[in-house]
Amino acid sequence: MGVFVFLPLVLPLTAWPIARLADRHLHPRTATRLLTALAGVMAVCSTVCLGLLMVVGTAQLPGNPLPDGWSDPEVRAAVPYDGIAGRVAVPALLAVVAACAVTLRRHRRLTRRAHRALAGLPRTEVAVLADAEPYAYALPGGAMSEDRVVVSTAMLTCLEPAERRALFAHERAHLAARHHRHLLAVRLAAQANPFLHPLRKAVSYAAERWADEEAAETVGSRRAVARAIGKAALVSRGTPAPTLAGLAAPGPVPRRVAALLAPAPAARTWPSAFTAVGMAAWTAAAGTAVSAMSSANSALTLAVLLHAATPL
Amino acid sequence: MTNQRQHPARRGQGELEGLVLSALRAADGPQTAGSVQERLGGGLAYTTVITILTRLLAKGVVSRERAGRSFVWTPVSDHAGLAAHKMRKLLDGESDREAVLASFVTSLEPGDERLLRELLGRAQAEGED
Repeated sequence: MGVFVFLPLVLPLTAWPIARLADRHLHPRTATRLLTALAGVMAVCSTVCLGLLMVVGTAQLPGNPLPDGWSDPEVRAAVPYDGIAGRVAVPALLAVVAACAVTLRRHRRLTRRAHRALAGLPRTEVAVLADAEPYAYALPGGAMSEDRVVVSTAMLTCLEPAERRALFAHERAHLAARHHRHLLAVRLAAQANPFLHPLRKAVSYAAERWADEEAAETVGSRRAVARAIGKAALVSRGTPAPTLAGLAAPGPVPRRVAALLAPAPAARTWPSAFTAVGMAAWTAAAGTAVSAMSSANSALTLAVLLHAATPL
Repeated sequence: MTNQRQHPARRGQGELEGLVLSALRAADGPQTAGSVQERLGGGLAYTTVITILTRLLAKGVVSRERAGRSFVWTPVSDHAGLAAHKMRKLLDGESDREAVLASFVTSLEPGDERLLRELLGRAQAEGED
């Protein structure tokens, strides 16, 4: 067990380079799937190790359910009996479980409420809301409801016919590829281990890019999609965030428009290992593999120890 | 199950608002709460109808005028307006909703607007060639 049980907690750092490079060097579809998978596996491993540390940590609590043999000095020497890590792991794991439970509940409640808001409208795929505020959303179906595209009249009036088609194609691409599942998965992953936060941001951008590319293919014009995004963003801009102007990097909207005005990305599945992005991808893959092996190793060690320490 | 059958009026608030709005819109001219209740077939209590109408008034979907000792109610918006109101309330109340409602565009950061106008201008110029 030893140091292995701590590795999955910090190994998400190996995915940072690919999270940074994916948006410009990978096809958005590849980027979304790869980063979601990496984040998911690493989050599970990290949580398993937190759980193992917690089991070790509870040995210090009076009245713990662990077998008596557990307090044997020999057994203690074999596990990372660390006064701090064990004690920190208990609240950390509780916080992770609570945060994920709250997120899942909120997700379900929000889906239900959104569908209920549309209840009085005709049951068409596109729900047009009479609203002076411009917005457009893809709303995935719930237990009893279908996928919907929600768009306000103000958004529709500011777009030309080709741009409207681009908007609908974009939202339908989100729904067809079940992007909300990717987004929820990386959200939970980032809650399980804060080091996975950059992956969450990268996935939400990659999913938008993926839908943009699908829309460009459907309407047959990259420029129409770019114009639709640009116009929609310009009419729906709220109050700008108080950041230091000049220092801020371009936000996601101009980057999406710029990407659409450039040629379509190549649909390669896996980058060559001799490029920066290839190195980054392999580093992340290796980090994930080590993470999985470490947590499996630690879990097995602890199981064997517990078994040996149980007087049966 | 049996409980629901005994109380057909025990339905979601949203559904009731839709029903009352439909009844009001089907009538020509302003209606009193009593006539709305009649139009609904008597399935709802008078006080429920008043409550629902007041709620629709708060949402800006109906308006009312005093006529004698009671109010008469007029629809000012349709179901799309009611849905828009509910959706706006949902959107304003929940900030972190990306996984449920994926927005077409995110808000612009400072400097983005200038950059975006440049990009769109370039796209326009190239498109006209």
